[in-house]
Amino acid sequence: MDVFVQQLVNGLTLGSLYALIAVGYTVVYGILQLINFAHGEVFMIGAFGALTTSLVLFKGNTSLWTLPVMIIGAVIASVGTAVLMERFAYRPLRNAPRLAPLITAIGISVFLQEFVRLNYNQVPFTSWNPFNLPDAKSRIPFPQIDVVTGKAFELGGVTIQRSALFTIGALLMSSALLWYFINRTKTGRGMQAVSQDADTARLMGINVDRIIVVAFALGAVLAGIAGIAQGLQNNNIDFRMGFLAGLKAFTAAVLGGIGNIQGAVVGGLVLGIVEGMATQYIPGQFGGSPWKDVWAFVLLILVLVFRPQGLLGAKAVDRA
Amino acid sequence: MIKLPDIPESVVVRHSAKAWPLGLAGAGLLIIGSLLSWSFDPGVLGDLSISLNPGGLQIVAIAIALLAVILFLARRGPLTSLGQWADTALSLRALGLWALLFMTLVLVAITVETGGLINIDPGGWISFLGAVLLFIATRFVVQEETRDLSEARVPGWAEILVIVVLMAAILFGTAYALGLTDAWEFVLFLVFVTGVVITGVRAGLLSWLGHVTNRHRHVLTLAAFAVAFFFPFTQNGSDANMSIASQVLIFASAAMGLNIVVGLAGLLDLGYIAFLGAGAYVGASLSTSAFATIGWKPPFLVVVLTGACVSATLGLIIGAPTLRVSGDYLAIVTLGFGEIFRLSMFNLDGNNGPNLTHGPNGIPAIPDLTIGSFNFGDTHTLLGIPLARFSNYYFLLLVLIAFIILVFSRLNNSRIGRGWVAIREDEKAAEAMGVNVFGLKILAFVVGAFLAGMAGTIKAHQDVSVTPDQYIFLESAFLLAAIVLGGMGTIAGVLIGAMILKLLPEKLRFFADYRLLLFGLLLVLMMRFRPEGLIASKRRQLEFHEDDEELAVRIETNHAEDVKA
Repeated sequence: MDVFVQQLVNGLTLGSLYALIAVGYTVVYGILQLINFAHGEVFMIGAFGALTTSLVLFKGNTSLWTLPVMIIGAVIASVGTAVLMERFAYRPLRNAPRLAPLITAIGISVFLQEFVRLNYNQVPFTSWNPFNLPDAKSRIPFPQIDVVTGKAFELGGVTIQRSALFTIGALLMSSALLWYFINRTKTGRGMQAVSQDADTARLMGINVDRIIVVAFALGAVLAGIAGIAQGLQNNNIDFRMGFLAGLKAFTAAVLGGIGNIQGAVVGGLVLGIVEGMATQYIPGQFGGSPWKDVWAFVLLILVLVFRPQGLLGAKAVDRA
Repeated sequence: MIKLPDIPESVVVRHSAKAWPLGLAGAGLLIIGSLLSWSFDPGVLGDLSISLNPGGLQIVAIAIALLAVILFLARRGPLTSLGQWADTALSLRALGLWALLFMTLVLVAITVETGGLINIDPGGWISFLGAVLLFIATRFVVQEETRDLSEARVPGWAEILVIVVLMAAILFGTAYALGLTDAWEFVLFLVFVTGVVITGVRAGLLSWLGHVTNRHRHVLTLAAFAVAFFFPFTQNGSDANMSIASQVLIFASAAMGLNIVVGLAGLLDLGYIAFLGAGAYVGASLSTSAFATIGWKPPFLVVVLTGACVSATLGLIIGAPTLRVSGDYLAIVTLGFGEIFRLSMFNLDGNNGPNLTHGPNGIPAIPDLTIGSFNFGDTHTLLGIPLARFSNYYFLLLVLIAFIILVFSRLNNSRIGRGWVAIREDEKAAEAMGVNVFGLKILAFVVGAFLAGMAGTIKAHQDVSVTPDQYIFLESAFLLAAIVLGGMGTIAGVLIGAMILKLLPEKLRFFADYRLLLFGLLLVLMMRFRPEGLIASKRRQLEFHEDDEELAVRIETNHAEDVKA
């Protein structure tokens, strides 16, 4: 039983992370029917934003009060990236065939990874490093804030990491705020309107371009928070972290029903739990952590075969 | 494209009469300068230090000048009959700009390499002055009416001769460029080639060549293969470039296979490298390597077919469930599949699952192929030229790519190909018209996987070892980029795209670190500014520029003429 609960906790932690990122895929897809393939990179840049904030402003100080500032730093970095990529890469392709933005997204993804790898500790084409940042070509240790990364809690044989509580708490709070934003604010309702019918929404006086930017920014905020959560959990970050996390998060979004925000959260949690359970309960040589990613993708394929609209139902599945 | 501020029309017209002598003078200076020494240091840019014995780049400069002379003489002088067809003004402007760029880069290169402008000999300055004069003169040439190039007729044998000469130029140009070891020299040669190509495009040469090649399509194909076939013979037995060339061919065959899936059927497959990998692992496992885990050692032909069939089966397994839902899902599911493949190959090492692949170490020491008594590892001498290991693989791959191109073009021009086009443009309309959408999609997917599997089995032997990290997602992205860069759904485009993407990084090692960064940027910019690729398929071009009426009319008239002819 303990083992089961332990895996459940692990799964929920992992799932919360997926859910935070998955919202970004689903919000943008709901409005533009675009898979923002580079969203994983937004998550990665969020983590680097937090790291930079900590290194530049606090220089090794890891008191609790630095955490909110780091969150703000992460969000600024990720939102900035997302808005810029929408403006300069996706917007010009609004009416292009559907292959074009997908290929662009791959390009952005590779570009951002390489940009961070090469230029994190130097201004492009120089070797000038004004803030003495570390080399991003290998893993960089993430600042450990005692209250959220210190000694784990023991609850009757189940270990709960503090960073896990942080991640789950971040998901709960973000979901509540997101729900409020979507349902109670004018912009949020505008988003709903645009996702139902962009042309009519435009006629009703909604600035569709602005709504699209807001959608990208909204996903980026959650991705930035997820970036911090990942850094606190793993103790280190690197420029490749966005690829697999993004892929998993997309799987989560599809699992819950793409375009459906509650779906993304549910899908993330389910995917996390499935991974946790697969690690523990698949017997024989194909169990264990080396195969957990494989099972996650197998789940994606199974969902698409048997329930392409996802667990909670998706918006517009059959659009080719 | 470099855009210069325009000189006001009235100024151009007023001075246009002086452009002709000035331009010829510039070209003359360029030639004279190139015959003199450019730098006394023989170690820079090849050897440019001996007067009256021009080195490689000086010959290139003379070629630029001669091209300019021909174009000027076509405006006024003995070649005016050429001038009524070619748009000499536009092409001269391009040539002037690129000539100046070329000479400036030469001076920069000498300065950087030897540490100062002082190391440039008078010859270099004279050539530079010539380029400047040429540039100024070409700003003042006036554009004139030209006749429609589709009416241009020369005797059939002359057209064939043009194709042959063009192909020979490509052969020797490539051989020369590959032989350049100095990065500066390579860049300068590239500048020259780009400049000449743009000049040709501006003159209308390319659209004329389009008409010519349309009339002699078989000659073109044959000539292209002849060029590829004779390439190893230009290497004098050196295997270094052949190694690169055979890598390019593997890459190009995989890209051609993916081109069927993405370019013809419009299905975005982001895990295509896994099919190549499946073929490679089958090839390695059935080889006589001491590390192969399967006891069966069939002859190579059987291995190729087995690899292709395993690959195609994987394609069927992954395609059947996902091809029913939308295209976006397919992209991500294939991406997931690529990861599943890589992770599985990584994990199947005996500790996590049966030992099939030796995990991260892969299967090393794969012996060279032997077909009959022909061993691909040995050096064979043909026509007095020794052909070593990579040349042998090169010929085998040439056969493979010919087969893939054959499959591609036969499918493209068939009922199946038209079905794919219909699906790509509007799936629902196609279905309503009775096209078997699902079946055709599966077919594209499986054929693509089959061809990649074939290529993979050869790749395993050529690379000597197979490891999981050869089949990461980035490789799939590279294949896709070759297609996007060259032109989706075209044969020539994809071959050129594959060549550019594989050759440039090999030769330009000094920006090796920035290679991927530029690659990402290139994808974004291509989609933004030229989504149809360098060599556009006409239909694709229309798909990407739906509201461009002028383009639609132009393509329609061209098409009507082709049908008449």
